[in-house]
Amino acid sequence: MFPWSPEFAWDAYHVAFFGALYSVLATVAGTLAVAAWRARRDAREGQTAAIAWHGDFAEMPRSARHCRHQLTGEAPDRTCGNGFDCRHCAEHPRLEALRRKDEPAEPAERFGFSLPQDRLYHRGHTWVRPEADGTLSVGLDDLARRLVGTPERVELPAAGERLQVNGPAARLTTRGHEVRVLSPVEGIVVEASGEGPAFTLRVDPGGTPDLRHLLSGAEVRAWALRELERLQGALGSSALGAALADGGELVADVGEALPGDRYDALLGEMLLEP
Amino acid sequence: MDERLLPRGLSRAPFGRFLLWLVPWAALLGVGLYAAYLCLALGLNQTNMDNRFAFGLWIYLDLTVIALGAGAFFTGFLLYVMKKRELAAVINSAVVIGFICYSGAVAILAIDVGQPLRAWFTFWHPNVHSMLTEVTFCLTCYLTVLAIEYLPLVLRNRQLKKRPSMLVFEFELHKVMAVFALVGTFLSFFHQGSLGGLYGVLQGRPFAYRVSLAAWPSTFFLFILSAAAVGPSFVLATTWIVSRVSGRVLVKPSVFDLLARVSGSLLLVYVLAKSVDTLVWINHTSFRLGVHPASFYAFAPFGTWALFAEIVLLGLVPALLLVSARTRRDPRLLVPAAFLACAGVAMNRFVMTVQTLALPTLAFDPFLSYTPSWQEVASFLAVVAYGVILYSLSFRYLNLFPQERELAAPKEA
Repeated sequence: MFPWSPEFAWDAYHVAFFGALYSVLATVAGTLAVAAWRARRDAREGQTAAIAWHGDFAEMPRSARHCRHQLTGEAPDRTCGNGFDCRHCAEHPRLEALRRKDEPAEPAERFGFSLPQDRLYHRGHTWVRPEADGTLSVGLDDLARRLVGTPERVELPAAGERLQVNGPAARLTTRGHEVRVLSPVEGIVVEASGEGPAFTLRVDPGGTPDLRHLLSGAEVRAWALRELERLQGALGSSALGAALADGGELVADVGEALPGDRYDALLGEMLLEP
Repeated sequence: MDERLLPRGLSRAPFGRFLLWLVPWAALLGVGLYAAYLCLALGLNQTNMDNRFAFGLWIYLDLTVIALGAGAFFTGFLLYVMKKRELAAVINSAVVIGFICYSGAVAILAIDVGQPLRAWFTFWHPNVHSMLTEVTFCLTCYLTVLAIEYLPLVLRNRQLKKRPSMLVFEFELHKVMAVFALVGTFLSFFHQGSLGGLYGVLQGRPFAYRVSLAAWPSTFFLFILSAAAVGPSFVLATTWIVSRVSGRVLVKPSVFDLLARVSGSLLLVYVLAKSVDTLVWINHTSFRLGVHPASFYAFAPFGTWALFAEIVLLGLVPALLLVSARTRRDPRLLVPAAFLACAGVAMNRFVMTVQTLALPTLAFDPFLSYTPSWQEVASFLAVVAYGVILYSLSFRYLNLFPQERELAAPKEA
């Protein structure tokens, strides 16, 4: 006897109807249960940050997902499909081998903001500097600092917290808009110091860090140029007055120069949080 | 005021203007809810239906919105099963529209059938020989599936996705969406078919009765085919409307092109099948039932123009327009063609519901006429208002069109 059916009889109609009904219900409930179980497992295994980035990356426009080898010319039409994590990209080693290594690394000061050559850069506008003691220093690059201005609130991870590549490294609230900063490295936070957007995190990577996904040397210049183009595109032509294309420089506080309704979109666009 | 809830990087109207947009729809919803209360509290004497004209405006419009809502299942089928990736651009919107259509239809059925608190009786005491039982089962299950498909969209809201539990659940739910798309396709096929089938089995109504193919009358298959054919057209038409109302480019032209191509091709097959079915019905079925087919068109206002309008004007014409690559490139022809296709399915459901009941079946029967009462009209308009409100909220707070951000982004040099 099927449950919930006092009038059930073993004939073709009843069997077909209830068979279909319960099959559908079991499929729907079973699939939901599987999704819920997997979600619980993901949360337990600490996959939340990776999943958040996966979703954010998928929502980003194509113009924000250039492959680093597009910037340097090895793959002119290539869009990244790996969440800017070249460590897991099958094509990266081949394209990296094609890259000209003899190009001089130019300091980025000439674009109106500072990108010192002694560090590596993440596409989410953070930098990484390997320290002599084996730790990594992580901070917000100059372009991002000019974007966020003077935040009302800066939430940094406490010492002992674990960071993941492309997981959240900090959360800033500036002019009422909240934005998260992506972590360029993985490891345990040893120390958080600095004021406002000039914060620095010291991270213990727990061994030799794999930093292949970070930009370095001559490609930083190409990336900085592209970021300025993106910034100008997002701003429109007049918001900042004279800008790079006109021979000008980026103003010190971009947020100050922008109407509030566009500022939030710009933060998301440049710090990769759509 | 509500900036924190808006998808980042998507421009939306100021909150005040959005509220103003909602006010008339909310008023319409209020009037409709009052009408629905009258029908539920006082009974169907509030309507102009009677024992002879038992299917009126509600059932006609239910059948129409369910056919148009097929865009949800068919877009999901094309995307997740047939791997037409371009349709990811409209799947969210299609799911919301499907949910609105089906929940609206169920709400109207609850008023029409009455005693909504006893709705579960249909599962407890099912008449397993009835097409309507199959319809009830499929509608209920498919509405559940649509609600599940809607859930990930809601969980991707800017504030909700900050909650880790919501985020991981949305992610995992998205990964199993193909299963729901398949279940939705199965359910939608069956209830579209059963809705058509329930007319095709009416031997006492020669105008609707059709010969059987396998276990089902031909209308079973024609309803499935017509719903699958116009579903993509409805998705196209609604996307165009939302784009015009919001003043934003929402999808790339290639998406419209694919929707139109699919819709046009299926519509051509449908028109062919419908023509064959009509010829068989005129030359064989109606004579077998002792009725000359010309007599069906002897009563004004349902002349042969209705048949011509249904099959040629609102069937063949939009089908040809939609399959033509030249037409698809010109929005001035493409969009009207999609609207014509939708009007075609509405016309078909009108003919099957209203014309079928209006025509006399016995020599002494009069031709019946029926005008819906204000309660019937208002309660259905409430469903329209509910749909507009829910869609407006979804468009404002959820990312219904993934290409919108891309298309709003500055073009690359």
